[in-house]
Amino acid sequence: MTIAMLGPEVSWYLAVSAFLFATGAFGVLVRRSPLIVLLSLEIMLNAGNLALIAFSRHHGRGDGQIFAISVMAIAASEVVVGLGLIVAMSRKRVALDVDKLNFLRG
Amino acid sequence: MIWGAWLCLASPLAAALLITLGGNALSRRGAGYLATFATFVAFIGAAISFFSLLSHDAGDRSHLSTGWTWIAGGSYHSGFSVLVDPLSTMMMLIVSGVGGLIIGYSIGYMDGDPEERRYFAYMALFVFSMLLLVQGGNLILLLAGWGMVGLSSYLLIGFWQERHSAIAAAKKAFVMNAVGDATMALAFFILIQKTGSLDFGDVFARQGFLGGWAINLIALGLLGGAVAKSAQLPLHTWLPDAMEGPTPVSALIHAATMVTAGVYLIVRTHPIFEQAPKIEDLAAGLGAATLVMAGLIALVQTDIKRVIAYSTMSQIGYMFLGAGLGAYANGMFHLMTHAFFKALLFMAAGIVIHALAGEQDMRNMGGLRELMPFTRWCFLIGSLALVGIFPFAGFFSKDSILAAAMDRGWYGYLLWVAGLAGTFLTGLYTFRMYFVVFGGQRSAFVREHFHHEGHGEGPFSMTSTVATLAGLAAIGGWIQWSPFWHPVTSWLEPVARPLVEPANWMEWTSSGTALALGLGGIWVAWLLYGARRPRPVPRVAPVESALVHKLYFDEAYDLAFYRPAMRLSLLLGRFFERPLIAGTGRELAEGSVDVGRGFSRLQTGLVRTYVLAIASSLAVIAVVFVAVR
Amino acid sequence: MGNFLVWVVWVFAAFGCLGSGVAVVSFSNPFYSALALIGNLGSLAVLYLLLSSEFVAAAQVLVYAGAVMVMFLFVIAYLGGEADAPWAGGPTWQSLAAVLAAGTLLVEIIVVIGLKAGGRLSHQAHIGRSFGSPAQIGRLFLTDHLLAFEITSIVLLVAAVGGVVLGAHARRRYEWGSARLPRGQAP
Repeated sequence: MTIAMLGPEVSWYLAVSAFLFATGAFGVLVRRSPLIVLLSLEIMLNAGNLALIAFSRHHGRGDGQIFAISVMAIAASEVVVGLGLIVAMSRKRVALDVDKLNFLRG
Repeated sequence: MIWGAWLCLASPLAAALLITLGGNALSRRGAGYLATFATFVAFIGAAISFFSLLSHDAGDRSHLSTGWTWIAGGSYHSGFSVLVDPLSTMMMLIVSGVGGLIIGYSIGYMDGDPEERRYFAYMALFVFSMLLLVQGGNLILLLAGWGMVGLSSYLLIGFWQERHSAIAAAKKAFVMNAVGDATMALAFFILIQKTGSLDFGDVFARQGFLGGWAINLIALGLLGGAVAKSAQLPLHTWLPDAMEGPTPVSALIHAATMVTAGVYLIVRTHPIFEQAPKIEDLAAGLGAATLVMAGLIALVQTDIKRVIAYSTMSQIGYMFLGAGLGAYANGMFHLMTHAFFKALLFMAAGIVIHALAGEQDMRNMGGLRELMPFTRWCFLIGSLALVGIFPFAGFFSKDSILAAAMDRGWYGYLLWVAGLAGTFLTGLYTFRMYFVVFGGQRSAFVREHFHHEGHGEGPFSMTSTVATLAGLAAIGGWIQWSPFWHPVTSWLEPVARPLVEPANWMEWTSSGTALALGLGGIWVAWLLYGARRPRPVPRVAPVESALVHKLYFDEAYDLAFYRPAMRLSLLLGRFFERPLIAGTGRELAEGSVDVGRGFSRLQTGLVRTYVLAIASSLAVIAVVFVAVR
Repeated sequence: MGNFLVWVVWVFAAFGCLGSGVAVVSFSNPFYSALALIGNLGSLAVLYLLLSSEFVAAAQVLVYAGAVMVMFLFVIAYLGGEADAPWAGGPTWQSLAAVLAAGTLLVEIIVVIGLKAGGRLSHQAHIGRSFGSPAQIGRLFLTDHLLAFEITSIVLLVAAVGGVVLGAHARRRYEWGSARLPRGQAP
């Protein structure tokens, strides 16, 4: 037996996702500590996940959820590498400030 | 028969190429032998052409042989053709014969010079160019040879490249020749426009249809080229400076052959000149003026080669005089004898210079007659031939030109007087030179620096060639004695019929007067320089200073041409070239650097900037996509 | 009644999401930011449940909040959590531009989705019981999306190796002949 959707429509979830994405983008652009940048990046990824799940519910198929699980796994890998970089940087006594890391300056 | 002419042309070119390509594989002596051999082969080719022409009838003696089509552009066609006719064979024989002797002489003269191979390559190139000039079947090939002899002259005058004065003299010669080349080119342009071709036959056949001003301009342009190449007034100042080159170069190029190319041009294109009688008179007048002026300047020169150079200028004035009057055969005959004795004089002077380790100033010489008897007798023969004393060569050729002048009305008589004055001056300056160098006591310089070769006065290559030329200067004139026999005039008649027929009394008068004046000049020279107690030389200060400064021609040209040209080029450089052209290049470069630097400011190295850029562009792109769709 | 309840839960979860998101980017102390992010993840899990995606919600809590955030907290603890005073000195041109960019993105997303899919979004599909269940997820992973499954595994392996390499001490490189950076000097 099929169940109809209760509560707000999918578009409301999409609005929440958009706001989360914008917030995460703002955080990436403004913060200077690489840790916080990574956290903001996580917010953006989760916003994308929310949109995927919402659409999956909208279509009634499970593909969006599969995608969302893959995104979660990829996000986890990315966090591993990013945190590894940050730890290596701090071990080399490099300042943890993205504004100071401009060695590729032209 | 024609192949003889092609052999004559190709042989020196082959030698020049072989010496150039052979490089160090060819020994220095070997280069000299090769060049001499090639020139003698050219002489054999010329002789073959000559003898085969002899075997033809007098009317059938003009053969044009075209190798291939050289220029074919639009309506103008020109082939690489060789003309064998009496005039060209005469020149071929002179060029290759005297040239071969002089190149042989150079083997001894230039021995030991580190750049000998380059010298012989240039000499072979010159012989080829001169032969191309005289053998060319159309005016374009003549012009090609003309330009190439100018090039060879430049290369050889500046042969000793370390000498600043030599380089300057080479440039001067080339630039003045270029002026003549320009006028010739302009004449050719008019010819092409009016007649459509530059082949001798076509031009001479159609030039009757040309209007008055056109033919005068053409003749004037040709005369300009001849004047530049033959160092006549007013384009004469390069010839004395050209003595910076080695002595054999002066002998070959600036006495025997190249400077006579102007005379050849006038004789070859005489139909054009005959249509422009004013220009012909101008040519004769320039010749007369030059011969007097050069004679005067030669009186005060102290460098032995410069005396001979001014003498050359003067004698070519005689040839111009003859050609301008229409006595073409006489002019050519004088060209031939002049080649003999002038080359002889240069080469004998070269032996003296060689023996005195390069010294050319006559004031340091003296008393060489006992030390160098062979050279002294050769020099004497050459001098006597130059002055025109019977029975030596110059007598027969020069006097017949003077006789021809008498047949041309009052203007001719004016030129006749100038020619006679020139004869007196010739005797004077020539024997001044002889007595100063060979007469008197040995100077201190000579005592110090004279060194013997040990086995005679010079190497065999030098003495043998000088002896040959001395023989030619002694007996070469006997080939034509105008009142009695004139094979030269008859030989050249199909090509250049003379316009004047001096009567016998004119011939005798001219010969007698010229002989007397020549002897008079010698006597005065002996009084002033050669006698045991020489009279003091009369000096008039302003005249002497004017002559020493060569009548201020160099200064005048410097003011009139050189300084304005330099000023103009400096102005152009400052206001046009540097800001506009060099500045443009620099501006472009600096502009590119600035643009690049501006762009490089985008690379801040900050992650945040890059992310901001990505986010902003994403925003913009999304708008674009939405709006466009 | 059920609908009303769902609405109330949605409001709480949505605002919790947004608020914690803003908190993450606002706190100076990274420790507080990390905690805010955990809150964010929890709210998101609730939202997933409302969307009938139970398995994803559970995976979110277990993997994200349970593993990734724990890793974050470990690193923050190791690094000492130095603050970076983000809001000192007033708004710079960078932050203004960032606000502008973020705002633009937000507006655009809403506009685009509204324009393109606005009409169709009001008709949700009706779903069966097995929607969002582990059985369905597993079946999809192993049949339709097998490639994604495999690639994700490889990426996880690579990330693990990378993490180990990054975390290892720098070896002495005498045998390779290259200069060694002295400790304490920036590269």
